[in-house]
Amino acid sequence: MKFGIFYEISVPRPWDPGVEKRVFDNCLEQVALADELGFDSVWAVEHHFLEEYSHCSAPELFLTACAMRTKKMRVGHGIVVCVPEFNHPIKIAERTATLDILSGGRLEVGTGRSATWNELGGFRANPDETKRTWDEFVRCLPKMWTQERFGYQGRSWSMPVRTILPKPIQKPHPPMWVAVTSPGTEIDAAERGLGSLGLTFGSVKEQETKVQNYRRIIANCEPVGEVVNNQVSTVNFLFCHEDTEKGNKLGRRMLGTFNFLAAQLLAAREAYPTKSYPSLGLLPSLRKEASGPADPAGVPEGIAIGDPERVLRACKRWESVGVDRINFLLNALETIPQEEVLNSLRTFAKHVMPHFQDSSSQAAAAGGGR
Amino acid sequence: MPLSGTMDVAAFAAGAHLAEIHGFKTEEWTLKGAQILNVYYEVDIDLAQQLLPVTVHPVIPAYAMFNVTHYPESPVGPFTIADVRLGCRAGVRPRGFTLASYVDSEAAARELAHRWGFPTRVGKVALRAFHDRVVGRVVTAEGKPALEVEMLDRDFISGGDIQYVSSMHLCRNREDGKLTIVQCDPEWTFSKAERGRPNLVSFDSALWNGGDKVRPNWPISGSYAIADVLIGKIRYVSDPNQDAFRGTTQVAA
Repeated sequence: MKFGIFYEISVPRPWDPGVEKRVFDNCLEQVALADELGFDSVWAVEHHFLEEYSHCSAPELFLTACAMRTKKMRVGHGIVVCVPEFNHPIKIAERTATLDILSGGRLEVGTGRSATWNELGGFRANPDETKRTWDEFVRCLPKMWTQERFGYQGRSWSMPVRTILPKPIQKPHPPMWVAVTSPGTEIDAAERGLGSLGLTFGSVKEQETKVQNYRRIIANCEPVGEVVNNQVSTVNFLFCHEDTEKGNKLGRRMLGTFNFLAAQLLAAREAYPTKSYPSLGLLPSLRKEASGPADPAGVPEGIAIGDPERVLRACKRWESVGVDRINFLLNALETIPQEEVLNSLRTFAKHVMPHFQDSSSQAAAAGGGR
Repeated sequence: MPLSGTMDVAAFAAGAHLAEIHGFKTEEWTLKGAQILNVYYEVDIDLAQQLLPVTVHPVIPAYAMFNVTHYPESPVGPFTIADVRLGCRAGVRPRGFTLASYVDSEAAARELAHRWGFPTRVGKVALRAFHDRVVGRVVTAEGKPALEVEMLDRDFISGGDIQYVSSMHLCRNREDGKLTIVQCDPEWTFSKAERGRPNLVSFDSALWNGGDKVRPNWPISGSYAIADVLIGKIRYVSDPNQDAFRGTTQVAA
């Protein structure tokens, strides 16, 4: 099991001068500490127009700053939107290769297609087309990274033969993932040999079924890249505090705030009837979470909130169903004071990480037992 | 913090045409073969927020739903209803807050108001399906044009692709005289579904309890469907002056 941290970069109103800078600075301070403590990776979303929920519209810049402040952590796009109205594929290949070089070969490339009308409508992208454009992009990217010259005539985009520069330093190319939000996308990931980057907060039981499907299908995949990235990652919240009551209380506040923010988004499917988006994105899992079973402290099953013992139990539960990585959201709207977020990372590294094979050596080496 | 509705409920109620609901216990209506036209437009969010009670949160971007539905059969005979709703969230649940409804049948207007709190008025409401478009028109009883909305370039989709949301109706409860919000949770069984290009030909916000605050500014989508509709029992009611988590009461399973 590996542990990463995951950023939406949510910025509370009122948007006074300096508030965005303060939030970005807090995130970067957390990243630097997480690197010291032995966390494996930092991931950043690409979102546009999502008021308060996410001000992370230029993740390649944020991730570059992360790479400059860290030594070992991998830096991950979680995800880059593979829709031509958002990002031209040539620009994606160029930017990601540059980031791979600047980070010393620590880049992970998550791919996806956006799920909100806020974004799809804002860029005037056709929701019916996004799955197809994503599919074209993920098939082209490895070739753009690895072939000296590349030309392409496709459905959503074309280019004459050119040399796309620079090239990533990871060989054959950086690991590729796909965001798994809609049911069945884990199958799309497996069929293409891509890692499954879970971005919703579904139940452990649901995830178990998805992992089983994924492992079965990826065993016989036709990879779009030159390597198969057989990994399942899930996203979770993290607030770990030695005081059980405080851990639960602050953690639940973060959870509730995030749910409210996410609920205000307009899912593509709600606004625009299309078979391209079979689910309401985050909304169904938020509804289930809001009304679903929770422990006596009011924390839903599988959520890494509370004292170290409870957080350990939650992480072990995910491990038991075959999840390889958990990426943690550390805050929402700065509801948790920065010092508490940093303490939560330290507490997790000290009390929880050592119980996991891959992470314990990293945590110890990085002084996570302090 | 996340945005909430900022409506002055008492002031809105004083100026709006609201229903008086006759308690929260009503039997279900099963309405066969309904023809449903839905057109969605983005609207000015700062103004829309003022038309939503604190019970709900605006959706970002804010959007309005223009719905015209013909029911060929019902317990009170055939009728056609049009309503304008604002997309919102009750807690984390997607909903449409109904600003006003027009119905072309006095009996249907009365029953819908008394049973589910629909803010109905009687008017001329028409839904017409042509080979290239579906058109909904509403004219008030006084002869004022209130709405003309179209879905152009009809194209078949699956009923499963359509995601209608439940509606919320601000009304007065006859039993205690208090203002309340009733949630109406219909179920739809589709036999046909289409999607098309939305076109709002004309719309008078003031005739829909919206003052000058509903300002459509960008088309989203249009859909047309034929479905059996079950308007079920009232399950939830909310205090219009409290958020959904604190102010919602379950009145039936």
